[in-house]
Amino acid sequence: MRAVATLAAILLATVPSLIGPKRPPYRFPWRQAGLTERQAADHLLSRFTYGATPGQTDAVLRQGLENWFAQQLAADLPDDSLDAMLRPYDALQLTNEQVVGLYPRMGQVAKMAIRDGVINKDSVKTDRAEYRGLIRDYMARKGYKPEQELFRQFICQKILRAVYSNNQLGEVMTDFWFNHFNVSITKNDCAEFIPAYERDVIRPNVFGKFGDLLLETAKSPAMLYYLDNFMSSAAGTGGSAAGPGTDSVSRRRSGGLNENYAREVMELHTLGVDGGYTQQDVTEAARVLTGWTVYPMNEDGQRFINRFSPDQLAKRGFVHEGDFLFNANRHDKGEKDVLGHVFVAGGGYEEGVELFGMLAHHPSTAKFVCRKIAVRFVSDDPPQSLVDRMAKTFMDKDGDIRQVLVTMVTSPEFWAPAAIKEKTKSPFELAIGAVRGLRATVEQPYPLYVWITRMGEKKYYYPAPTGFPDKGAYWINTGSLLNRMNFGLALAGGKVGGVKVGSLNAQEVGLAIGSPANQLR
Amino acid sequence: MVVTRRGFLKSGGIALFGVGLMGGIPAFMAEAAASEKRRQLYKRKRVLVCIFQRGAMDGLMAVTPFEDAYLKAARPNLMMTAAGQGAASGRQGTGLIDLDGKWGLHPGLNAFEPLFREGRLGIVHGIGSPNNTRSHFDAQDYMESGTPFNKGTASGWLNRAVGLLGHDALTPFTAVSLTSALPRSLYGDNPSVAIANLQDFAIQLKGNPAAAQAAARSFEDLYATTRPGLLQQTGKESFEAMKVLQSADVQHYQPANGAVYPNSPLGGSLRQIAQLVKLEVGLEVAFTESGGWDTHFNQGTDNGIFARSITDLGNSIAAFWKDLGGYQDDVTVMTMTEFGRTVHQNGTGGTDHGRASCNFILGNGVAGGKVYGNVAPLAVENLEDGRDLPVTTDFRNVFGAVVDAHLQIANDKLLFPDWNGVKAGVMKG
Repeated sequence: MRAVATLAAILLATVPSLIGPKRPPYRFPWRQAGLTERQAADHLLSRFTYGATPGQTDAVLRQGLENWFAQQLAADLPDDSLDAMLRPYDALQLTNEQVVGLYPRMGQVAKMAIRDGVINKDSVKTDRAEYRGLIRDYMARKGYKPEQELFRQFICQKILRAVYSNNQLGEVMTDFWFNHFNVSITKNDCAEFIPAYERDVIRPNVFGKFGDLLLETAKSPAMLYYLDNFMSSAAGTGGSAAGPGTDSVSRRRSGGLNENYAREVMELHTLGVDGGYTQQDVTEAARVLTGWTVYPMNEDGQRFINRFSPDQLAKRGFVHEGDFLFNANRHDKGEKDVLGHVFVAGGGYEEGVELFGMLAHHPSTAKFVCRKIAVRFVSDDPPQSLVDRMAKTFMDKDGDIRQVLVTMVTSPEFWAPAAIKEKTKSPFELAIGAVRGLRATVEQPYPLYVWITRMGEKKYYYPAPTGFPDKGAYWINTGSLLNRMNFGLALAGGKVGGVKVGSLNAQEVGLAIGSPANQLR
Repeated sequence: MVVTRRGFLKSGGIALFGVGLMGGIPAFMAEAAASEKRRQLYKRKRVLVCIFQRGAMDGLMAVTPFEDAYLKAARPNLMMTAAGQGAASGRQGTGLIDLDGKWGLHPGLNAFEPLFREGRLGIVHGIGSPNNTRSHFDAQDYMESGTPFNKGTASGWLNRAVGLLGHDALTPFTAVSLTSALPRSLYGDNPSVAIANLQDFAIQLKGNPAAAQAAARSFEDLYATTRPGLLQQTGKESFEAMKVLQSADVQHYQPANGAVYPNSPLGGSLRQIAQLVKLEVGLEVAFTESGGWDTHFNQGTDNGIFARSITDLGNSIAAFWKDLGGYQDDVTVMTMTEFGRTVHQNGTGGTDHGRASCNFILGNGVAGGKVYGNVAPLAVENLEDGRDLPVTTDFRNVFGAVVDAHLQIANDKLLFPDWNGVKAGVMKG
């Protein structure tokens, strides 16, 4: 019986024309797992959305599970009403350079205020309120806005997209890859670059090739500052005297090689801690990446680099792409050996590109990354057979993330009883899921963020490069569990600011949101 | 309170019978084991209280080598002179408290003087991280993970300490952070919880306490009857913990021995930690924070930003100690900060990011009354990078020594991987 069903699935999968032109060339093996089609649709929605909206299961059944999934993978559904909601958030479209100009960091503001004579640097008696007042007036006069406003807008967009986007899988994958390549607002140096990081580096690449994602993150100001590679240089080339440097470099004279990024890119982004690299590989990779830094964003830094024409820079081996700068003067030009691959002496920018290519296509990376995807979408401890199958696709298809997801969702392990309701909702998933499930209206997203933070998930502020752990035991503890229950009561009772719920039985709905069953997906 | 302690006992007992004694162990042995368990559960726990001073405290202003001519020259506006001993008798704000002819306590720490003289308070100077980063973020991250050269360490050192306590009868209050979010120090697989305010550890609904009470009963039932596993177990612990706090009436807590806590976040946190200690709910690791130490601008001397922060620190800790009364033998308090500040004052009346700072350790097991560490005269050739107090004591040498002695954790390898240092002799015995 099962063999027949499998055969039928294979036939259908290989002859897509039999089932209509729009149907994708795969079928989901939910029937073999003993699920009804409705259960299968529920499971699908629980994994690839931030929670089903009322009636969405029926809609998926009408559309066909495979069709729905293919549409989510294409991620091209119109999002007009969401776009309209996001329009008032004027900071979201700014380039990094504009952000630096408009939302200067408080330390910078204080320095400028002193330089402009607004604050007397010798006045030891200035009290705090007076100081704040002076700074506030100064900022208003100069047209500067507080950095917190930038982050507030950024956080609000995250919530609005999660609640309202029709391309739910795109949102889930953006969250997944952001967490995989985590950066943190808690680190001042990188904080202001994080909105553009998510928008320009993560979001456009979530369904693409893993190697592209890796390279783009490596060249982004957020990552370059977060893991310190911006200042890493060959021994003896530190400081701006060596040639066109960046503002950051001249401000903080480089102490030479910095291994932070090289280590984490192997341990956390690609190979995994057991991926078969040594400390020597880390050091050598760090040497390969010397000179990978951020293009100066203020006038001082640019004046310096503008003394050279683009041709002159190119001739010297400099590479300037958007916010990225390869500063050839700071690059270690000696021979390196990473994972047995020799980079001959005299190389430049292309060495790093080659290194990322190697890492992106390494079998350890395929296993590590695919396991992490399976943990996100299947279970906290996914079967090895599933991970291996996904990793094979990853290797065969040049790290194509769409193909890896298709392999996962067409695998029996995805639909197995062990996977159903196995994942614990993160606080963000719980909150967004409840809002979607009630079709509540989010007029002001920030109070929801406060609740999500209280439940233990302060989005964008996770300090460590590991990102939030993706396992139930991390999210559930005595304090967080009570807060989950309290969130349910508050939301259903209309006590979460900025969120309008319709008329409902508050007690019953609150209990349902906080119930054990609803903590799982 | 007793009811709930029995609750913890019950869960411990169930775990014991459920897992350990299934396989035909004689009944008398099982009974012996169970009574042993009971004894352990009722035993008062030793508690380590860690206070992280975020922002990097200027150790040279907190505890000043007041005869150092180089320091005087480097800090024309930030130097105080010693006012001699006995400052605790009410001469606050009149100069450094001379501890031993070399070191002077900031006048804001006058509450520390008697504790130091009694030998309960130890100070380590020149403490810091072997990693020379001067980034707040990185230095805090390294100090809290306990791995100064590895950013990828997922767990925090205090969480690992919880895992090394050597007994499994953990309660929901074994490791508590009095902060709104769990600190990096407590990240990890061992149970630990962040509670910003004990009063909030309850089912509540703004403006409708009756509904909240009804909901609490329903939630308790829902979690008790769900399938066994993480949610059921945690749910049970949550409600037990909640009832402990309710029965203790945490809202109307009266500190003992006339202790008066400063009306500050740190004072409030320590006051709640004292409550947890006295409730005997199994607290073993407590964590809280103190802010305002990043004094780039107008740092002040006996008055100003630094003085306010250090006075709050000293008075909060001293009030906590006084409040503990008979529990003092169980508790050790340790402060920490990510790095120190420049020896020279900067152009804006403050100090910039430096290297070593100092820390305070308070407890009856502390070999106190002494400023430990190795601080040479602050001539430029003795400074790290020509500007900073060099790190002469690895923070792990001190943290390790305190945890080992107070919580009886022996496995330094797990607590601080990659650490090969020597434990500092700051504890007795």
